[in-house]
Order: sequence, then C-alpha cells, then structure tokens
Amino acid sequence: MEFLKTIQTSRFLLSLNVLLSITYFVCVVAVFPIGNVPLFVVLVLSEVFHVWQVFGFIHTVWARKRIKQFDARFQPHVAVFITVCGEPADIIESTVIAAKKMKYPHFSIYILNDGKVASRPNWQEAEEIAARQGVNCITRTVPGGAKAGNINHATAQTREPYIVVFDADHAPKKEFLQETVGYFVDEKVAFVQSPQFYHNADVNQVAGGSWEQQALFFGPLLKGKDTVNSTFMCGTNMVLRRIALEEAGGMSEKSIAEDFLTSLLIHEKKWKSVYVDKVLAEGLAPEDFLSYYKQQFRWARGSLEILFSYNPLFRRGLTFAQKIQYLSSSSYYLSGIIVLINALLPLTYFFLQLKPLTINTMTLALIFLPYIFVILYTLQMTSNFTYTFRALSFSLGSSTIYIKALWATITRRQNAFAVTSKTRVSGNHGKLVFPHLMYIALVAAGIIYGVMREGWSASMLSNIAWAMIYIAAFAPFIAAAFEGTRKAPKAKKIEAHA
Amino acid sequence: MSIKRRIAVYVLLGLMIAFAIFFSVTVFGKTSLRLDEAQSLFQTNRDVPGMLNLVAQDVHVPFYHTLLHFWQLLLGQDIFVARMLSLVFFIGTIIMTYVLATYALGRRSIGLFAAFLVTISPFMNWYGSEARMYTMLAFMTVLHVYFFVRIMRTGGTNNWLFWTLTAIMGLYTHYFFVFVMLSEFITLLVLKKRFVGKRPIRSIIIYGAIAGLSLLPWLLYVYNLGFASNTQPSLGTPSAGDLFDTYAQFIFGFQVPAVNTLIVSLWPVLVLLAFFALQRTKKKIPPEITLFVLLAVIPVLSAFIISVTIRPFYLSRYLIVALPALFIFMAWILTRYRPWISRTVGVVLVLIVGVLFTVQVLSPNTPVKEDYKDAVQYLEKNAGPSDVVVLAAPFTIYPVEYYYKGTAKLTTQPIWNRFESGSVPAFDPAKLEQETKANVDSYQNAWLMLSYDQGYNKDLKDYYDKHYQKVSEHKFSPGLTIYEYKTRYDEPLKVTDGS
Repeated sequence: MEFLKTIQTSRFLLSLNVLLSITYFVCVVAVFPIGNVPLFVVLVLSEVFHVWQVFGFIHTVWARKRIKQFDARFQPHVAVFITVCGEPADIIESTVIAAKKMKYPHFSIYILNDGKVASRPNWQEAEEIAARQGVNCITRTVPGGAKAGNINHATAQTREPYIVVFDADHAPKKEFLQETVGYFVDEKVAFVQSPQFYHNADVNQVAGGSWEQQALFFGPLLKGKDTVNSTFMCGTNMVLRRIALEEAGGMSEKSIAEDFLTSLLIHEKKWKSVYVDKVLAEGLAPEDFLSYYKQQFRWARGSLEILFSYNPLFRRGLTFAQKIQYLSSSSYYLSGIIVLINALLPLTYFFLQLKPLTINTMTLALIFLPYIFVILYTLQMTSNFTYTFRALSFSLGSSTIYIKALWATITRRQNAFAVTSKTRVSGNHGKLVFPHLMYIALVAAGIIYGVMREGWSASMLSNIAWAMIYIAAFAPFIAAAFEGTRKAPKAKKIEAHA
Repeated sequence: MSIKRRIAVYVLLGLMIAFAIFFSVTVFGKTSLRLDEAQSLFQTNRDVPGMLNLVAQDVHVPFYHTLLHFWQLLLGQDIFVARMLSLVFFIGTIIMTYVLATYALGRRSIGLFAAFLVTISPFMNWYGSEARMYTMLAFMTVLHVYFFVRIMRTGGTNNWLFWTLTAIMGLYTHYFFVFVMLSEFITLLVLKKRFVGKRPIRSIIIYGAIAGLSLLPWLLYVYNLGFASNTQPSLGTPSAGDLFDTYAQFIFGFQVPAVNTLIVSLWPVLVLLAFFALQRTKKKIPPEITLFVLLAVIPVLSAFIISVTIRPFYLSRYLIVALPALFIFMAWILTRYRPWISRTVGVVLVLIVGVLFTVQVLSPNTPVKEDYKDAVQYLEKNAGPSDVVVLAAPFTIYPVEYYYKGTAKLTTQPIWNRFESGSVPAFDPAKLEQETKANVDSYQNAWLMLSYDQGYNKDLKDYYDKHYQKVSEHKFSPGLTIYEYKTRYDEPLKVTDGS
C-alpha cells in the first residue's frame, strides 16, 4: 500500500519547514506594519495555530527508530469483538466470515449486538447471523455508553486476556492476528492498532475524499506517532490487552471519541502502544455526504472534548512527546475556526477595506510562498504522494463541521453517538454546504462592491485571488455534497478475505 | 522512438523555430536600436584589442562581443545583422531546452512544452532580437546544465570536461553565469547520493576552480584598467516587487505598469497551482527537478540578496539564466496535475502569454521599448542648423548617433567628451546653469531629449522650463521624450555669399 510506505524525509527539509514557518510568523507578528488591530490580533492567533500545526506535523514525521518486540509464537487466547448496531446483515456476515478465516489457533468470535438498545428494526439479524455462522452473540438489553458501553458490556462477559475489535464493516484479513498479537510478548504493550483501509474509495467523491484524508493519518502520522509511543486506538482493527483496558477503567464512556480518550488514559498508566503499518482489514468509507458529515462531527467533537476536558498538556503520566502528539491530534479540529478566519479576510477587505497588515503584497509573497511551497512538498513526500487536492478540499471544507463541533463542545451540548452509516443515505445534502455557497455569494458581491469602490487595485486583485483559492478548494467538497443528486456507481460489496 | 514520433517531434521543433524566426525578422528585429545595442555596436566596430579595452571598461565579459565582432565582419555591420546572432542563440536555446528537459525528465512531452514556453516567451523573443549577450547566456546555461545532468546520471571524465568547457564559455558570456554554477553546486550537495560518479563534490570543486581560474586573465585585465565604468547605468536597490516582476517578465514579457500590477498581484494563484499538484501518484519527483527549481530560484534570489545588502546590480535580463529551468519546471509540474486540470492550466497559460505577447508587440507603452529611431527622425525633420540637440543621459548619444544624420549639433548634458578616457561626468547641480548656457546659448532652439533617467532628468527639465520657453513636447516611448525650447529671440544671422 502506497500510503504505508516509509519515505525518509531529510531532516534538513523538515527543519526548513520549521525555519520558514517561524520566519513567516515573526514577519507577520513583529516585522510587517500592522493595519487594523482586531484583524491583526485574529491573524496572529491563526498564525500561532499554523506554526503549532507545522511543529506538530514535523515532530510526528521526524525520522526516529523504535525497537519493538515481536514473537509470532506468542499465541494467547483472543476474543474477537465485532461491534454491530443495525448494519445490513450482508455486511455483518461478511465480516464474521472473514474473521472466522483468520489463521490463528485460539480465538472466539463475538458479535456485540447493540441493535436492540438502539431500537434498530433489524437487530435480530445479528443473532441470526451468529447462529448461522456458529459464533457468539452478545445482545445488550440495557443501553448506555454507546459503542464503548457495548465493548465494556462484552468485556465483562468474556474472559480472554486479549480483545480484538472490528467494526461491522471492517473485514479482517486472515493474517490479522498473526501480525498483531505477537507484539504483546512485550508485557507493557496495551494495544496494537492497524490501519483502516477503505476499499470503496473509488466509488464516489465522498468515499474518495474521505479515504484520501484518512491515508495521511494512517500513513505518516500514525507511523510517526508510533515512534514516540503515541499511537492511539481508532475504534476498529485493534487488539487490546484486557488488563490494560481494565486498569484504564474500560473503554471510556465519557466521550464520543471513546477510542482516543481511552488511549490517553492507558498511556497515562505508562502502557505502550504499537502501530502495525500493514493493511490487515478492509472497511467501508462513508459513501454519502451526510454520513461523512456525521463521522467528521463525531471525531471533531470527541477530540475537542479531550482538548478542553482532558487537556493532554496537563495530564500526569504522559511523556513530553506524548503530550505533544495528543495535543496536536486533539487541537487539529480547531482548524475549522482558523480556516474561517483566513477565508473571511478577503471579505473584510472587499466590504470594509480593512487589512490586518499594510505590507506590500509582494513582500508578503516573498515570505509566504517559500513557506507554503515547502510545506506542501513535505506533505507530498511524507505521504508518499498519496495526499491529494481532494483531501485538502475535504479538510478545508469540513471547517464548518469543526466549527459546529467546537460550538457544541464549548456549550456542552449533548450529542448522541452516531454510527457511520454503512449504506448510502440517498438524497441531496446541499444544505450541509450552505455556508460554503454563502461564502461564494459573498465573495461575488464583495468583488463587485470592492471594484466599484477602488477599481482593480493590487490589494483588490490579491484578495480576489485569495478568495478564489478558497472557492476552488471548497469546490470538490461542495460537489460531493450534491453527489446524491447524480447517479453514482454502485458500491462494492465487501468480500470476505479467503 | 518510432519514426513517426521522431518526425512529429522534428516538425514541432521546426514550427517553434519558424515562429521565433518569423517574429524576429518581421517584428522584433525591426524595432529601433536601443542604448545597450548601440553600445554593443560601438564596442565591436573596432579591432579586437580596442574592443576588449572597451568591454573591459563596461560591466561585461568579452565572449559575446568577440563573436559579434567576427559575425559582423562576415555578414555586415547593420543592427539587423547583429541581432540575428542573438536569434541564432535563441533558436539554440529552444532546441537545447527540449534536449535537456527530455533527457533529464525522460518525457518528450515535457521537453516539447518547455521548449514551446521558451519559444512563445515574450521575454525571450525580445532578447532573441537584441544585439546583446542574453540569449547566448541562456543557451550557454542549458548547454552547460545538460552536461551537469549527464554527470549526475553517468559520471565520466568526458562529461566533466564538457561541463568545464561550457562553464568557461558561460563565464565569459556573462558574470551572472556564476549563479548557474552555484545552483549546481548546491544541487550536488543536496543530491550527492544520486550522483553516479565517484567523489562528485571533489570533482565539481576541481573543475569549477579550473573554470573560475580561466576567468582570471580577464579579471586581471579589467583590474589593470581600474574597473572603469563609463557606460553603466545607475541601478536602484530592488524590492520584493522586482523579484516577482522578474518571473512575471520571464513568462509574460514586458507589460505596462497596470498590466504588470495585475499579473504580480495575482500571486496567490501560485498557491492554488501548488494545491493542484497534490495528487495521488506513483510517479516520483525526479531528482533533476531539484536542480531545475534551484536553477530557477538561486540566481534570482542571490542577485536580489546581494543587490539589497551589498551593491545593486539586479536586472531581469541578467537573470535569463533562470528562465529555461523555470519553463522546464512549469512543463513538468503540469504533468503532476490531473489531466483535465493540466490541460486547462496549460491552455490558459498559453492563451494569456499569447495575448500579452501581442500586447508587448503592439503597445507603444511597452516599458523596454526605446524608440530612438522615430525620435531621431523627428529631430532630423524639425531641428535645423541653428538648433542644438541636448541629450541626457549622456550615454544615450550612442543610439542617437547611430541614426542621426541631421544638421543640428548633438551635445550632452552633463557635457561629456567620449574621446577622453574616464567615466561619464556626474551631474553637478552647481554646474547646471553654466553647462546649459554653454550648450544652448549660441542656438535658436534647444531640443532636450531625455531618456535613461540617471536621477537628474527632472532637474534638467525644470531648469529648461524655468529659463526658456517650451515650444513643444513629444513622447516616443516610455521614458523617452523630446522637449523643444526657444532659446533666442533675435533673428538668426543670415550668411550670404556676397554676390
């Protein structure tokens, strides 16, 4: 898999990133003449975030080596949990069949059926599948704790010292256990995570964009985190040591990003984590915009909750590197507000003629262009050329989702855990990109207003160009939202891996 | 490559060459002689020692001038003939850009598009028809870099020898060639593991030193002449805007300030173009791209930094060494885009260049245009034997003299005797009145031709405006204006034959 190939990026290039971002930051903060003060303050805050993101990224991908113990002969008994909450029967059954085919001497399969407590009409199908396939089914009757509650419930009813978790749509490969359990020979390893891989990425724009975003995370980012013992659980395709899970109080039910928070709590107890950079299971990316929207919201909300309620900086037990890594991951979703700030700057010029800096646009270019070009080049290098414009578009476009999640976090609004739909939710999801369409309309109006005021001045042109960049960057995201109105190719059916 | 494809490549290259020749012969070659060209002609229209002496006093090195000297001996001493030498190097640059890009990046389509960008570049077309060394410098650059890439790929003493030889020729073409070598040296440091040969760093130091030492005789010669500079225009410290102007000029040519502002202000579009290059691909970035990026950036940035910190010598034409590498990079980056984006960006780019090429040709306000030809024709028609033509800056007398066959006396202000050794006298406000009177008092009308402002043209004009009656004013090209002043009101003395 291309996204998992290790590309040794030179430390010179990585250091250059830091140097250029700091240079740019210093110029913005201390060298360039200040224009409108409130806008300047907002700009500086956004630049602080950018520098932090660059620093976090460089810290993650900085080449380090970690020696991990592995013994293929270590083959303890394993409980395989397949979490189910009303997914289509064929998807669940495919995963069960794939799990049964895993090459490993001692394991039991459990379907963790939450369909009943979630009032899914098809909840009994999971039990039927279990009977048909000769595996266990644990159906919850008392709700609570969402997916984490489901796992905790099953953990209490089983005894195996190691637990594997698969989402209903993530079919394992036969070598999954052979490639992961051996790491537990190191008694300090609490969990082993393997990548999520979406095999339906080419089905449509949503699935493709979603996967391309994930490829960066499951490629260079998690591989980098692994070198500083900061891999966190990603909800599926993971193996846990029961004792470590219990020591952390089970899967945390306090957050909708239960995997992320539980990882933090486990690391706090000085346990180790391992990332196996091999595709050992294949799943499904969200195929419709609404599902994608909900998934992103859940991740953003969960991560921001951790930032505000469990700020990694102040957690005892984490190493310095782990603090940086957890902070970097949880703060990523603040980017929504940063994108908003940056996208609004051209509008403040169009309508109010306000600029945060009064610097000559060419001088700004002289400092900014090397900075952005080197970052993009590094991003391409480290991701082994798997990061795409569409992934960037989805990240920038998702800013509205992240802002909504930030608002929900700040106001402590309750959000239910929503399982990402495994089937396409039909319909036009254009209303979800209304803010983006509004932005385009405002830019159009702003250009007319600004040009009528001052003609095609250098500042107008630069601001128009900036606005166009955002519009171009939002375009694939917007197009994906309207994809439901077009006839999309039929999704591939998950196949059990023989 | 199949014969069909080979023929297709030759046909396309032939069409590019035809394009360059057509516009050179029919358009650019017929424009007015410019100051720099007048200097080239002035310097090369004498014996070789005399020519070398003049070039040494200038800011240049003598290879181009020597070639031009013999070129004119063979083909004639007309400005059009002199310009054709630049056209030869322009064509050479087109071909070598194709060869270099194709060899380095392994795709003919990249080579062809890069060569096409060179062909339609208004900047290259302009200097492809200017009797100066700039297209020769571009040609030497691509030729030299070709051997550098060969060294990278195959090593070998022969390649190093050719690299050294072309480095010597390049260094004798223009001092700025040293930035090409600097870029190569940095490339080698960055990519040394990619070089096939043994000890490439040691080799580049040895062969580079040989090339550098070859310039020593010339430098000693210049040093013995005291670094005199009697024709060098004064240059201002460049700004960040000039830096971007340089790249804008490479691609879009010389445009009027309004258009130029539009072009460079849209720089954020570059960020979008970089975004488009983010694509999932198994095509790795060839190491040679590092070379082309450094070649496109290092010379410009180095000249900029030195000009800002030490001494201003930043001129976009000196930086033509960066142009082929820039176009090769542009041609390559398009291959990183999704096909439809690549096609769209490519077509839009070519269309914009085409339009601006036309604007550069047709607009009388194109900044680099120096219409001395029309200005002199105007003087010949309107200035009589009882008039005087005063030129500022003084060195503009070269292009004026080339065309001028009128009856009015030509003089300069500050007053300069070119046939005395030494530099152009500096402007002295204290001498303004005295020199003006010495220039114009005996004449009925003074025709003040101002161009190549060295910082005092306004003082001159203000003085003339205040002390004489301005009769007319005529602008010929950006920065070239003739003002007519009535200096005497008595009837001119009529000389009769006494019969």
